[in-house]
Amino acid sequence: MSDNTGITQHDPNAMTRSEPDEARRRVTLTPAVDIVEDAHAVTVWADLPGVQKDKLDIRVHDGSLTIDAESVVPVTPDLRLSHAEIRAPYFLRRFTVSEDFDTSRIEAALKDGVLKLTIPRRDEAKPRRIEVRLG
Amino acid sequence: MSDLYFRTDLFGELDRLQRQMSDLFEGFPSSLRSSRMGTFPHINVGTTDSTIEIVAFAPGVDPAKLDISIDKGLLSIAGERSTRQPLPEGTRQYAQERFTGSFRRVIELPQQSDPDKVQARYADGCLLITVGKREASKPRSITVE
Repeated sequence: MSDNTGITQHDPNAMTRSEPDEARRRVTLTPAVDIVEDAHAVTVWADLPGVQKDKLDIRVHDGSLTIDAESVVPVTPDLRLSHAEIRAPYFLRRFTVSEDFDTSRIEAALKDGVLKLTIPRRDEAKPRRIEVRLG
Repeated sequence: MSDLYFRTDLFGELDRLQRQMSDLFEGFPSSLRSSRMGTFPHINVGTTDSTIEIVAFAPGVDPAKLDISIDKGLLSIAGERSTRQPLPEGTRQYAQERFTGSFRRVIELPQQSDPDKVQARYADGCLLITVGKREASKPRSITVE
C-alpha cells in the first residue's frame, strides 16, 4: 500500500540539485583580447559583445586587473533557444599588473561591445636615455 | 513497400545517431554551414511563436559594413572587422586574439520563415535579426464544435 497521497510529489533532491545549477550559471567566457604596449602605456582591447556600461566591472586589486562583465541581449521571454554558440552570458578575465603601471590612472572606454583599457606607465618607469658624462 | 519502409527507417536511424553524437558534444545539433569552433561572429538562434530570432555576437563592427541577405531560405551575414593599422615604431604586441578581416556566416532558416519580414539592428556589438514566420505556420488553438 502506498501512502503517497499528494498530488505533487516532493523531490528529495530539489535542494541539492539547485546548487550545481547555480554553479553552472557561473560558467564564464574568456573574452578575446589584443594587448599592445608602447613607451607610455599598455592598451588592452577586449571583445565584450552585448555588454553595457552598467554591467561591466573593472577592478584593480593587489596587482591584478579583473574584467568582469555580463552580456544582456534583449529577447522576448517566450524565446526557445535552438542553436547556441554563446551559452554563458558572463565574461571574466584576469591579468596581473606589475608595479611599473599606474593603476590609478587607468582609462576605460566601451564602444560597440569592445572595451579599450589604457594603463599608463609610471613616469619613473618610462624608458629614458641616460647621458654618459665624460669623467 | 517493405523496401520503402526499410529505407525511411534507416535514414531515421542515421538521423537519430547523428543527433545523439552532436548531443554528446554540445547539446544542440550542429549544421554543415556552421562549424562550431573558431568562427566569427558567434551566433545564437532561437524561436518564438511568431518569429525566429538570430543574435550574432559581432563587437566592434561598423554596421554600415554589414551585409545581410536572404536567398532561398539561407540567411547570410557578411561583413568586415577592420584590420588594425600597422603598429608604430617602438610598440610591442603581446596578444592578438581578436578576429580581424572579413567574415561570412550562413544560417539555414526554417521553412516557415517569411523572407519579407526581416528586421535587423545593431546594438552593443550584437546584431539582432528578427525573421517573421508565415501566418499559416503560427500556432493556433482549434475549437471543438
